[in-house]
Amino acid sequence: MSKKWSRRDFLKTSALFSTGALLAACAPAATTQPPAAATEAPKATVPPAGKKKIVFSTYVWSNLEASMTEILNGWVAATPNVEYEGQFVPQTIDYWAKVQTQVAGGTPPDCGIAECQRFVSYAKNGTIMDISNYIMSTKFPVDKEFPGAIACYRWAKGDFNSGAEGGNYYGLPSDFQAYIFAYNKKMFDDAGVSYPTDDWTWDDMLAAAKKITKADQNKWGIMALQGGTLYRGNFVWSSGGSFYTPDYTKSMLADPKTIEAFKWQWDLIYTHKVAPPPGSTGQQDPFLSGQVAMTVGGIWGLTDMRSIKDFGWDVAIFPKHPQTGKRTCSMEADGWWIYKDAKDPDTAWNLLNYLANPAGERLFVKANDMVPSTFPEVAQEWYATKPPDHMSKILDNINQDSAKVAYTYFESGTVMNAFGPIIDKAFADGTDITAAMQDADKVMTEELTKAWALFKS
Amino acid sequence: MPDKKASLTGMRRREELTAWLFISPIVLGILIFQFYPTLFSFYISFNQWNLLSPPKWIGLNNYVELFTIDRFFKNTMINTATYALATVFAGLALGLIFAVLLNQDIRGKYLYRAIYFVPVIAPTVAVALLWQVLYDPNFGVFNGLLRMVGIHGPNWLGNTTWAMRSIIFEAIWAGLGFTILIFLAGLQGISQEYYEAAEIDGANALQKFFFITMPLLSPTTFFLLVTGVIGSFQVFDIPFVMTGGGPANSTQMVVMYLYNNAFVIQKMGLAAAVAFIVFVVIIILTFLNFRISKRWVFYE
Repeated sequence: MSKKWSRRDFLKTSALFSTGALLAACAPAATTQPPAAATEAPKATVPPAGKKKIVFSTYVWSNLEASMTEILNGWVAATPNVEYEGQFVPQTIDYWAKVQTQVAGGTPPDCGIAECQRFVSYAKNGTIMDISNYIMSTKFPVDKEFPGAIACYRWAKGDFNSGAEGGNYYGLPSDFQAYIFAYNKKMFDDAGVSYPTDDWTWDDMLAAAKKITKADQNKWGIMALQGGTLYRGNFVWSSGGSFYTPDYTKSMLADPKTIEAFKWQWDLIYTHKVAPPPGSTGQQDPFLSGQVAMTVGGIWGLTDMRSIKDFGWDVAIFPKHPQTGKRTCSMEADGWWIYKDAKDPDTAWNLLNYLANPAGERLFVKANDMVPSTFPEVAQEWYATKPPDHMSKILDNINQDSAKVAYTYFESGTVMNAFGPIIDKAFADGTDITAAMQDADKVMTEELTKAWALFKS
Repeated sequence: MPDKKASLTGMRRREELTAWLFISPIVLGILIFQFYPTLFSFYISFNQWNLLSPPKWIGLNNYVELFTIDRFFKNTMINTATYALATVFAGLALGLIFAVLLNQDIRGKYLYRAIYFVPVIAPTVAVALLWQVLYDPNFGVFNGLLRMVGIHGPNWLGNTTWAMRSIIFEAIWAGLGFTILIFLAGLQGISQEYYEAAEIDGANALQKFFFITMPLLSPTTFFLLVTGVIGSFQVFDIPFVMTGGGPANSTQMVVMYLYNNAFVIQKMGLAAAVAFIVFVVIIILTFLNFRISKRWVFYE
């Protein structure tokens, strides 16, 4: 005979069920199968026994998730008994917060995307794995890569910055991204100004900007660099300046050559009035909207430039400094690394090897056409594509004079966060840039001292 | 014969167990997701922790650093206080004016009330993005209107002088609907008998407003003041979306500073210390509000 359910029984069962549901919700999420490429049949949710499964993590932009999934599925097809779980996170600053929370919680991914500006902190804290032995044992062709690219992921214990020639390898670069100089051909034509040549200096750039600028029509000669983009290095190195002393203990922001580079940019806005004031160009990229004739920016900007329909445009080699004759191109390399607590480092290395080999980089370049390879032979193919007509000028610049971006040292983010607003204020409000640089210099030295104390602790 | 007392105790225990079982989801939820993180955060505020390596105990150093050598904390507190003062008091004043107007027996008053309330139900981020476009120095509505009367509009969000004002203006607009709604509810709770009695005594409109409406609305005003101060000290979304705290940190609020320390430069300990300082500041301000309220809040 079945017992009739009382209200009390119902409440008890409901409470028990709710508690169970809450506890279940607190349990770690079950791993899910990554989305299969459109051309492939869906895979089983549970990997067959004996398969090695790794967790791969990256932030994604535009169509990268689809193309990355295709590449990873290619690795699965080419490699026996492997599976992966893809953690694809939209490209925001929160990606690294997520990863660091995973690390703190003891559940890091096995491997994933790497950034050269975080590299020293991650290597020093033992968050990522030293993969030198894997590189040696598999004879990975690190010697065939651009030296500057691989330098982004070499570190010797005790070094404050990456790039040590004898340093160990803690990651492999996936791309080698330059800073480029682009110009609007129509605005040059309209102003009767000749296009930039290989002999151009900063003075020529300024003279052209003056002829092109029609401020009353919101047409500007050039976009001034400021903030993080100026800290990458191009203009400062070209003027013979530097951000810090070679031992990273003191700031060199107050060095006259460094100030010259910053002031040159500031003068474009406030003295010569050939560049729009910060924030005044609104939501649209002023180069893409045809408001600005010349711009300096990351090579990834070419993706959007290629969609320009209203005017012709091209790239040129960086104008050189009129006195030093230098035109240093700052470079940075994203990459791949393995987390120290990876559950299956061998399989993670297998994937890294697949992704970072010339063949893998070819796939990456093909799927995601704005990622110039770290191997010159692959990069040359990419630099031969059009538009723009003179894409190869970028490679010329890299080969002539290039250097790793300036902010790859330990705690660089914290240091820049401290002195940056002082310089930003001078750019935003038009206040004295030289005085701002001198104030920022003191702050940077103090922050470097703090960073060193942390480094040694 | 079974012991009646023991039996009752057993039943009472079972009832208590049932009660605990029934409330356990919410109790567990509070303990796991609020109580434990709060305690852990308090512990972390005495540590140096970048998430990548284990926390290191440094005692009160984070608190000392914030009050002595930290370059931005004082500025972010001033920014937040400025924002709080402006949005709370201007919001209360405007909200009261509009509520009184919308409380009149005018045609279409329900439509007007709905229109004023729309910004409250719109997602804050979407509204902030919309205002970013309105503030666009070249194509924005504000500068477009100013150009029509021959004025060259400012660089609203790109200039350290204008950025905070622009954010405050937007925040007042976005929160006005809620303030109006609460004031309207308060106004409609005031008995008409007071006004009738005042009219018999010869009071004019202003006298009725200041001697009847304002005092009887004081509990409502007090509620809005307390919740407004707490909310404005916790502001994050509007400045984060519109300016990211810039230019040159001129719109950096204290909760944004907490976020940047925790998730951008990985100073979790310092960020936790900021959280507890904000907590204490809010507690003090709320306590002061309650103390002062005895002088100006009147309950019927």
